[in-house]
Amino acid sequence: MNRSMMWRGLLILAVVLGSAIRLYPPKEEIKLGLDLQGGMHLVLRVNTEDALRAEADKDMERLRQEAQSQGVPGVVVRRVADAAFEASGVAVDKEATIAKIVADQLPGWDWQRRGEQLAFTMTPQNEREIRDLSVNQALQTIRNRIDEFGVAEPLIQRQGLNSDRIVVQLPGIDDPERVKGLIKNTAFLELRLVDHPREGGGAESREAILAHYGGSLPDNVEILTGERRDRAGRTTGVQYYAVEKRQVVTGRDLKTARQGLGQFNEPIVNFTLTAEGGRIFGDATGANVGRGLAIVLDGKVQSAPRINERINDRGQIEGGFTAQEAEDLATVLRSGALPAGITYLEERTVGPSLGQDSIRKGINAGAVAAMLTVLSMFAVYKRTGFNAVAALLVNVIILFGGLAYFGATLTLPGIAGIVLTVGMAFDANVLVFERIREELRAGRTVKSAVEAGYTKALSSILDSNITTLIAALFLFQFGTGPVRGFAVTLSIGIGATLFAGVFFSRWLFDVMLARTRVERLSI
Amino acid sequence: MEFFRDTNVDFMKYRRFWIVVSLALVAVGVFMVFIHRRLNVGIDFTGGTQLILRFRERPDVDRLRSILEQAGVGEAQIQRLGADEEHEVIVRTPIQEGTEEGSAGRVLRALEAAYSAGAGSIDLNQRGVDALTAQLLAADPDGRRATEGEAAARAHYEQVAEAILAVRREHGLITSWDQLAGVEGVSAQTVSWLGQDTRLGGFAVLSSENVGPQVGAELRRKGLMAVAWSLVGMLIYIWIRFELRFGVGAIMATVHDVLVTLGLFTLAGFEFNLTTIAAFLTLIGYSVNDTVVVFDRVRENLRKRPGEDMIAVMNKSINQTLSRTILTGGTTILACAALIILGGEVLRGFAFILTVGVIVGTYSSIYVASPFTLLWEQIFGARRRRRSAGAPTSPAKPAARAGGAAQAPPSRPSRGGRRAAR
Repeated sequence: MNRSMMWRGLLILAVVLGSAIRLYPPKEEIKLGLDLQGGMHLVLRVNTEDALRAEADKDMERLRQEAQSQGVPGVVVRRVADAAFEASGVAVDKEATIAKIVADQLPGWDWQRRGEQLAFTMTPQNEREIRDLSVNQALQTIRNRIDEFGVAEPLIQRQGLNSDRIVVQLPGIDDPERVKGLIKNTAFLELRLVDHPREGGGAESREAILAHYGGSLPDNVEILTGERRDRAGRTTGVQYYAVEKRQVVTGRDLKTARQGLGQFNEPIVNFTLTAEGGRIFGDATGANVGRGLAIVLDGKVQSAPRINERINDRGQIEGGFTAQEAEDLATVLRSGALPAGITYLEERTVGPSLGQDSIRKGINAGAVAAMLTVLSMFAVYKRTGFNAVAALLVNVIILFGGLAYFGATLTLPGIAGIVLTVGMAFDANVLVFERIREELRAGRTVKSAVEAGYTKALSSILDSNITTLIAALFLFQFGTGPVRGFAVTLSIGIGATLFAGVFFSRWLFDVMLARTRVERLSI
Repeated sequence: MEFFRDTNVDFMKYRRFWIVVSLALVAVGVFMVFIHRRLNVGIDFTGGTQLILRFRERPDVDRLRSILEQAGVGEAQIQRLGADEEHEVIVRTPIQEGTEEGSAGRVLRALEAAYSAGAGSIDLNQRGVDALTAQLLAADPDGRRATEGEAAARAHYEQVAEAILAVRREHGLITSWDQLAGVEGVSAQTVSWLGQDTRLGGFAVLSSENVGPQVGAELRRKGLMAVAWSLVGMLIYIWIRFELRFGVGAIMATVHDVLVTLGLFTLAGFEFNLTTIAAFLTLIGYSVNDTVVVFDRVRENLRKRPGEDMIAVMNKSINQTLSRTILTGGTTILACAALIILGGEVLRGFAFILTVGVIVGTYSSIYVASPFTLLWEQIFGARRRRRSAGAPTSPAKPAARAGGAAQAPPSRPSRGGRRAAR
């Protein structure tokens, strides 16, 4: 055996063994796509305009208060767009004060006078930063919430560098509605004092509350609704509350939240506050014993119990929850409120039974295809068919090994791609063998016919495989999910076919011909 | 077994006839897709919601439709899916105006009210492991809380829940309590508690997809770009490796293949979605692949005898590669046939495209690619022929040139010449 043969043989051995070892155990090494193992794929959009609006509201309120304290009373601010507001009531000679306030405290705003009003717009840079920040915060919050689920290998990522979209992939999820609810829950918690009914509880109707105030609400109060529940926790109707707009503490002041059992053994959520939050809360409750404290979640009053004594740092949220709802709420509170709303743009959930079914069928089809191909090889090329079959075997091993090595995901179209590769793996061999036949007919010796066959067929093989590779490339570029998996499988398949069908196959021939002097080739 | 040894079929003889046939097929395909508008476009591109549901009993499509109509989801497309005994149904609803989020929730709620209502705390065909674990823990039918404490009980019930839901995972949904009776790890008390306190809903969701209008539009765009750029990429590659005239022939063959296959695909009524685009791109790859093999041979033959008549060269090359074409085409078709028959519903459209595509692709490599290349050559190749006929190269050439020049005139287009040559 000459040296080239030996080195080539070693290389082949290394590649094949390497692939085989990398493959073992197959169930764990090959990553299955969501369409095969079941799971959920979500693309959601962070409504960054919410964050812009919140920031605008905050800044414009600050401007008003600062202006007031610096001698420009009576400034009226009004938001006109997501990132723009107007201030009126500022005389021209007071503009300098405003300018100073903006320079010191509101660096993210540009402004100019438009007749009676001062028009404020957010700088593009500030806007970009706020959007970016809100997406990153949402990303982190969602990660925290999903962590609690204990999903193996979740994928939670921003879709692209500057995008406001987040991709979430959760394999093995069997309760998609719950997950969606969990992610989407803005969970904005506020504790506010109740103005009427003063001792807590709620009123029957909006009109009853308005009547109390003589027809119109004072500026610092708004009407919120909540559910009326009976002892067993079932909802029996709606209640109304007149609640102060001022927030005593919010979700940001939470130290932790945990589910627990209330006085009737119903599921509730216990929360504790941070040191700072606890102090504020203690002062507020201490000064307002006897009044109702509204626990407001996303703008709805969960309950409004009476403050019996000063509470320093803990509280309860009750709301007719089931055990799971209480658990989810605690999770959501712990993870923090979402900085902005979320819209689901795309959602795909595949149950595991569908995936298992598909895998079974795909494997069946693959096995049959392989068998048919092998039979054809023997039928057409007689004993040289062995060469092609061996090449096919090597091809498949390298293909799967490659999938495992690159961490590629096997999807349902990917399985079809493998079946196709099995059918087409034959092609490289056919091109070569046909050439060999021709050369033999033209009178060459066996050895030179084999050599000529491989040499001349190579350009065809390369050209045709490269064009398929081009298709796979664009599929990968423009495809998503399962289609990408297919493109990767196809590409790896081409590499495997080239190695097995050309390099390995040629080596096998060389080995065979080197042993004895072969007069005729069974081909 | 050896096919086609030294065949000498004159493929190019009726090439003009075949060009017409091919164009006719393409026209039919285009008509099907664009004018007749029967292409079944999936939600990947139109946006909307698609649910695959499995029912315990044979679902009545009309009843389903009326339930959904009452729920305000009027334009639902409902179809039975797969084998009759599987009781599977696919429900498709278009995008609701003004929302991104689709109507899956409404559809499911309406169906739940009609099919899965009843006493029982949770529906075993809908909820997940966590919900079931929580209920089991609260009810504690095995009495674990008292004997082992909260944490151990929870772990135990989690395993029980997994075992129970594994039955659902295996079959898609749980059809009767008997299926739970023999499950390992689930005690008799648990099974009887399940029978009393939970319920088996009338259906389970096998898969649920919702594509908002934004994403739908994007996927459309991306799909088109993938196909367009692939074609361009391949044209450029062939141009580099061969010559423009071959590139033109190859692309015409590929476009032909795509359009004809698309027409047949539409006729068969399969759903056109992202996976379908992947299949078409594979088809394009295969078609070009096939054509390239023939052209590679043509190139080789042209190098050996430069002045030879193009038609003769084409014929010779096709005959030489015929064996390979039939064999590879044959095995690929066998593999794709295996996919169609055994691969299941989801892959059927994909397999159909590949099977039909391989057949059409093989045909087009012979009867579309070569004739179009010849046509291009006839119309635009004058300069090249003048160059090769007049340029002095090597001593061996004059003989070939003389032979070539004698044969060249017949291939030039001329009204009278055509009759004389063929």
